[in-house]
Amino acid sequence: MKTKFIISLIAIGSLFPINSIGQTLPSGQSIANKTHARNEGISLSRKLTMELKDKRGKIRIRETTSIRKYFGEEKRLAIFYLTPKSVMGTAFLTYDYPDASLDDDQWLYMPALRKTRRISAANRGDYFLGTDLTYEDIKLETRINREDYNYKTIGKELIDGHECFVIEGIPKSNEIAKELGYSKAKLWVDVTIWMLRKADNWDVAGNYLKTIEITDIKKVQGIWTYHKIYVKNHKTNHETTFHIDDVDYQTKISDDAFTKEALVNGI
Amino acid sequence: MKNKQFTATKFFNKVTSHYKIILTLSIVIMIAISLFIPKMTKDTSYDAFLPKDDPILVFRNQTKETFGLKDPMVIAIVNEQGIFNKKTLQLVHKLSDRLKTIPGIDPDEITSLSTENNIEGTDAGLEVDPFFEINELTDKKALEVKAAINDFELYQGSLVSNDHTTTLIVAEMLDSYDKKQHEVYKSLIRLLDEYKSHDEQFYLAGEGAVSGYLIRYIDEDAMKTNPFAAVVITIILIFAYRRLRGVVLPNIMVLAAVGIALGTMAAFGIDFFVITNGLPVVLIAIAVADGIHILGEYYETAAKHPESTQKELVVETMVHMWRPITITSVTTVAGFLAIAASSYMPPMTYFGLFGALGVFVALVYAVFMIPSAMMFVKPQLSKAYKRNQKIDYFGKAMAFVGKVVVKYPKAIIIIAIIIIGFGINGAFKLEINEDRIKNFQADEPIVKADALINKKTDGTSYLDILIETPETEDIFEPENLHKMEALQAYAETLPHVKGSISIVDFLKKMNQSLNENNTAYYKIPDDRELIAQYFLLYSASGDPTDFDNYVDYDYRLANIRLRMDTSEYNFEKPVVDAVNTYLSQNFNNSTIKATTTGKVTVDAHWINRLGFNHFLGAGLALLVVLLFAAFSFRSIWAGILTIIPVSISVLFIYTVMGVLNIWLAVGTSMFAAIAIGIGVDFAVHTVDRLKFLLNEKGLPIKEAYNEFYKSAGRALLFNFLALALGFSVLMTSSVPPLSQFGFLVAVAVTVSFIGSLTLLPAIIYLVKPKFFSTKK
Repeated sequence: MKTKFIISLIAIGSLFPINSIGQTLPSGQSIANKTHARNEGISLSRKLTMELKDKRGKIRIRETTSIRKYFGEEKRLAIFYLTPKSVMGTAFLTYDYPDASLDDDQWLYMPALRKTRRISAANRGDYFLGTDLTYEDIKLETRINREDYNYKTIGKELIDGHECFVIEGIPKSNEIAKELGYSKAKLWVDVTIWMLRKADNWDVAGNYLKTIEITDIKKVQGIWTYHKIYVKNHKTNHETTFHIDDVDYQTKISDDAFTKEALVNGI
Repeated sequence: MKNKQFTATKFFNKVTSHYKIILTLSIVIMIAISLFIPKMTKDTSYDAFLPKDDPILVFRNQTKETFGLKDPMVIAIVNEQGIFNKKTLQLVHKLSDRLKTIPGIDPDEITSLSTENNIEGTDAGLEVDPFFEINELTDKKALEVKAAINDFELYQGSLVSNDHTTTLIVAEMLDSYDKKQHEVYKSLIRLLDEYKSHDEQFYLAGEGAVSGYLIRYIDEDAMKTNPFAAVVITIILIFAYRRLRGVVLPNIMVLAAVGIALGTMAAFGIDFFVITNGLPVVLIAIAVADGIHILGEYYETAAKHPESTQKELVVETMVHMWRPITITSVTTVAGFLAIAASSYMPPMTYFGLFGALGVFVALVYAVFMIPSAMMFVKPQLSKAYKRNQKIDYFGKAMAFVGKVVVKYPKAIIIIAIIIIGFGINGAFKLEINEDRIKNFQADEPIVKADALINKKTDGTSYLDILIETPETEDIFEPENLHKMEALQAYAETLPHVKGSISIVDFLKKMNQSLNENNTAYYKIPDDRELIAQYFLLYSASGDPTDFDNYVDYDYRLANIRLRMDTSEYNFEKPVVDAVNTYLSQNFNNSTIKATTTGKVTVDAHWINRLGFNHFLGAGLALLVVLLFAAFSFRSIWAGILTIIPVSISVLFIYTVMGVLNIWLAVGTSMFAAIAIGIGVDFAVHTVDRLKFLLNEKGLPIKEAYNEFYKSAGRALLFNFLALALGFSVLMTSSVPPLSQFGFLVAVAVTVSFIGSLTLLPAIIYLVKPKFFSTKK
């Protein structure tokens, strides 16, 4: 009797393999939407240290102060370089427009020239200031793209002890893939705080391109905040680490801080 | 003497008693060691010519590592109507794309019009964008690319030829494909075939391609020359003895010598280099000589003593022959070892070492294997050796030579003196030169591709200059950048330097772009911080690894790459010297240091040693042979006599090289030591025999000479023919240095042979040294 019961249990189990679990998972698209619904505060200032490492292990360290503010759906980000000395005072400003058809605006202030240079609209897939992150990665931070991918949720996995949904995204068209520089993305999104914890990307030719790991996530002033991003480019063996300190969501930042003129004066 | 002969008899009695086990062992050892041969790897790179720990090579490899410089495959796309049209640029794009999928090609190190970025100034900023996007490519866009290139000095001549008919795709290989360049080469040829088009021609060259092509080329050449040498040798053996065993036994010796030499090489993991290709043929020619002498003696003995058993015949033969073949083998080994000892270049060192091993193996097989194998068969007579002692045509011809010598000894000596005079003159005029592309016949596709690319573009021969500064970001110091700029300007005035690239060129271009494209700003900015900020600005839209080939990540080291349109030593060396002089005057202080490196520097370094090594090797070989001959004849005068013919043969070759304009290069530089080691055999036999006939047998001089020419002379004739024809086989090689080497040794051996059988007896006839004087 008992044996029969077990056998039938196994039989039923084999009829409903992983699918049965799959049905309980949220769709990839809904996960993507959830990441955008998260509270990120309105304004933010922080110390951002970029540690860049080439394949021979040589390291460039750039310390900056970075401010960010949402203007409705539009996001503005300014980065002021503190070190190395040769680029001290250099400042970068970008306006990310929610409308994907609009090119973002970017400027760089070069103290040695005492001039602000407009940087031509970068491709979303271009590398951001010598790091392994693209402009698109920077724009999204810990959210995931809502418009450009067809997602599939493939399961749940633990990342650093946190439960994450694992989703796979394929760009909706070849044009989009080219623009983003990715032909596939595998993403790990925290099931409770809806933050991206890890991402794998493949280049347009299908080669394993890079891994992004977002760690040291903790609440600051009531808002979930990451303190470290590590990126490894598997093709070039170049690595980027962002260290984030002194996060502050509360000090009000004036709208005027996000203007070309403000770049000149620094912070 | 008697005692010695007794020992020898005892020894060969033992050998012939254990013939079964010895023969079995001989065959087993030969096969066992030969089994390693398939494991042999080939190294055709020019780096192979320097020991791994050579400082110049070590430095070059470090620089290569720092800047990610590798030996590239260079594809030239030629469209005589001009390349700036939609179709040709599409082709550049497709090929660049497809190259990424070729195994062995580093997908991130492909440089072409479709992979490189244009740096362009816009109203207020800097734009770093590909020259064209494939989906936006039209004929009109192609013309914009043309304008962009016209505006980008850096890429003129390096990426696109100045006449706009040629553009290059440079693809670097992964290090893991070292020694497998031929596979990559083959894949690329297949790829190019796929895109064959009416308007565009493809050419494939570059250092990587040359290495790849060479691997296949020497393989094919070995397949041709080795069997051919064996056939030639077999024909000579058939003529000499007209007997099956007379053909089979020497051939087994040859197999053993070649198989064990190459098998040992493979077992020790030593690479097969271009010149190694000559080794089997050389060993075939040399190894067969011992067999010829032993069988000649055997048939002669058999004809004289038809009543003897096979064992008696074999022992008698070996007792007579072991000494001369040991002496000749030892001198040949000495020649090879002289190459090994005098050469700094591993391929030549190994050629010497394993050549010596092969010759030694031949000797061991002659002493053990041949008598053992003979024991398996019944006594036999050769038609070439009749019982009535009547001499054949070969013997008669040699006897005639003897008569001439006795009649005109003075004339012979005068001719020799004239040859010596010309030869010394020739030695001073020897041209030391080398060019890797000369490893191929002129009509090979790689040679044509190389010539075309060198003609149309800045060339594929690289001289790199490593710039070092003490601190991070010191490269940004305008003073340092100006120095680099001046160095480039100077270098470009040197002959055959067609262009140069460094971070300075990119910086100048950035500066111009950021100043409304005003050409007045195509210069180095004079503010260190501004320069640092330019690079930061560049990174806002460029790739983090864009400047990897030109500057290190700390901006402390930089690389200047000069491009030359020739890989010939004669043109490379003066450039390296001039640059080094310039560097010692203008660089190398506490704030900036510069060192030449790259392929051109490596070439200049090792080829420079060729001349010295050549004379050292020849001198060493002569000395060893002299000492050995003097020692075995117990007379310094006999030693000096012995080396006269080979000395003349080497001098004669210098004259030949001058007349035929043959370079003293890698292959040819080895001729002298080998020609000495081999050629001295004739003199050894001559001196040995004449001493025996005159001194021990006490024959009157004319009678002794007659005897000498018709018997020993005949054997030497066949020995000579085997050697000369064997080396002549190398002349059919499609690798010019090998065919020249074969030619030179064949000529030298001929001169040694003639000298040993004319000049030497003439001198003895006239001078009558004490050494030969008849016992009273």
